[in-house]
Amino acid sequence: MKRRLRILPWLGLAMAMFLGGQWVQAAETGDATAAPTAQVDTATPGSAAPTIQIDTTTLNNGGSLKVTGKAPAGKPVYIEVWADGHDVRSSRFDSDVDKETKKRPYIFYLTAEMPAYYKILVPKDLQSKLDEAKKEGSKWSYSALLKDLGADIAYSVPAGIAIERYQSGLMASVVGSRGKLLPAMDEKESKKRSMQLVKARFRSIGRVIGASVEVQPDGSYAATLKIAKGSAPGQYKVVAVVDKKVKSEPAVFENKISFPTVYMDNAGTSMNLIYPFILSLCVAIFGVLMGAGGGFIMNPLLLTLFPVLPHTVVAGTVTPTVLFSQGSGIYNYSKIKFINWKLGAGIGCAMLLGGFIGPKLTEMVTLEQYKFAFGWILIVLAGLMFWQTTPGYLEKNKKEQAILKEFKKRAEEAAKGK
Amino acid sequence: MKVEFWGQEFQVNMVVGCIGGFLIAIVSSMFGFGGGPFMVPLMTVALRLPMYLVVGSSLLAIFFNTTVSTMRHYQFGNFDLIFFLAMFPAALLGGYIAPQIAKRVSPLVVKRVACVGLTLLAGNLLGLY
Repeated sequence: MKRRLRILPWLGLAMAMFLGGQWVQAAETGDATAAPTAQVDTATPGSAAPTIQIDTTTLNNGGSLKVTGKAPAGKPVYIEVWADGHDVRSSRFDSDVDKETKKRPYIFYLTAEMPAYYKILVPKDLQSKLDEAKKEGSKWSYSALLKDLGADIAYSVPAGIAIERYQSGLMASVVGSRGKLLPAMDEKESKKRSMQLVKARFRSIGRVIGASVEVQPDGSYAATLKIAKGSAPGQYKVVAVVDKKVKSEPAVFENKISFPTVYMDNAGTSMNLIYPFILSLCVAIFGVLMGAGGGFIMNPLLLTLFPVLPHTVVAGTVTPTVLFSQGSGIYNYSKIKFINWKLGAGIGCAMLLGGFIGPKLTEMVTLEQYKFAFGWILIVLAGLMFWQTTPGYLEKNKKEQAILKEFKKRAEEAAKGK
Repeated sequence: MKVEFWGQEFQVNMVVGCIGGFLIAIVSSMFGFGGGPFMVPLMTVALRLPMYLVVGSSLLAIFFNTTVSTMRHYQFGNFDLIFFLAMFPAALLGGYIAPQIAKRVSPLVVKRVACVGLTLLAGNLLGLY
C-alpha cells in the first residue's frame, strides 16, 4: 500500500506531462474552457498555479478519491473541497463578551449559502498541530486554527457567502423575532464571521480540516480525499492552493446517492430513510406505552445516533410529527366529549405565546447548550417517571384511574346513545 | 375560573395554569417535544384537577402550542420535508400498534424502563460518557 502511494504521484506526473491539459479537461467535464489556462500556468514555474487531477469523477454515497498534481516546488499545498450544488443554513448567536467594549453584542448571524460540504486538506506534517487543536474539545477556533496551519490562504468559498446579521435584544426575543436587520458587513468582517459560521455548521475539526496532502520536494503532491457517507449529493469541486491567488482550476466530481438514501435539503445530509423510519416506529410505540409523546426520546436519540443532523432541524421536524398524534388524540377524545374546551383553550392561549418564542431560542443556542439543557430536562422527566412508580403515587393513581375509566365509559355510552 | 365537566364543577387557578403552561410551552417548543408529561403533573398537582378532566384538556392545550411552534419552526426553515416523511408514517403506525401491546405489558414496568432509559440518554447528552 505504501509503495503504491509513492508511485502514484509520479505516475500521475508522467501522465500529466504526456497529456498536458487533457487530464484536467477530462476531470472537469463541466468547465472545458478552463483547461488551457491551467496548462499555460504550469509552463512558468515559481509563481505558477498548481495542476490538479482526480482519479475518479463519480462516487457512490461517499468514498475516497485521490487528488494528485504538481505545484511549485518547496511550497505547502492546500486542497479546498466543497459541495457546489447544495447550500445549507448556518446561524450563530454572538453573545460573547467583546474584548474591546466589554459588552455582549447579542448579534445573530445567519446565512443560507453555506456549502453542504466544506473541507480543507492540509499537508500531512501538520497532523500534530491538528491533534493538538482537537484536544481543546468544543472550544476550538476555526479562524485561529486556519491561521496556525497556514490554511487561511485556501479559505475562499465560504468567505464570499452572503451573511445577514440581526441586532437582537430582550424585546426581540420576547416577541420572537430575529431582531433588527443590520447593514451588510465589509469583506473582511464577513470573512471572519463566515469562519464562525463554518464552525457552527460543521462543529468538529475532523469535518472541516484533514491532514492528508503529501508534497514531494519537486512540488508534486498527492492526497486522499474521503467523502463521508451521508454527504450531500451532486457536484463537488476540488482546488489545490499554494498561495492566496495561486490556485489550480477546480476539478469536479460527482457524489451519487440512490434510493432509499435520500438527500435532505434542510439538514444538508443524505440518509438512508429506513433508519429514521424504524427508529420513529420504535419510539412511537414506546412513547404511547409510557404515556409521553415520542418527542422526548426521539430528539435525543436522533442527536446521538445521527450527529450530522443540526439540532434545529431535529427539533423542527419532530414537532410536526408529534402534532399529528396529538391531533388524533384530540379527535378521539372529542368524539366522546372528553375534553373541556374552556380549560384546554384557556391554558392553550398561554402556551401559544410560549410556542411562539421557543423555536427562536432553538436557533440561538449552540448544540452544546441544547444538549446540556435537554439532558437536564430528561433527568427531570426521569424523576417524574420514577415518582409515578412510587407506592404512594400508585395508590392514588389507582383510584384516579378507576374514576377515569368510569367517566370514560359513561362518556362513550353517551356518545353512542346519540 | 370555574370549569364544568360531566356534571361537576371545578375551581381552576388560571394564573398558575397560564404561567406554568407558558413556561412549559417555551421549553417544549424549543426542544421539539409535546410536553404532555409535564403538563399532566402541572394540572393534577398544581391545579388539583382530577385525572379524567386532565387527560383530554391537557392534550388540547399542548396542541395549541405544537401548532404554533410547528409554524414557527417552518418559518425559520428548520423543517425538513423528506425527513418528516420518513418519520411520520412510522409514528402513525406506532400509534396503531402500541395500544395492542399495551394490554400485555404492565405500565409499571414500562415506566421503570423509561426511567432508566431517560437517565441514560440524559447522561449521554450531558457528556458523562
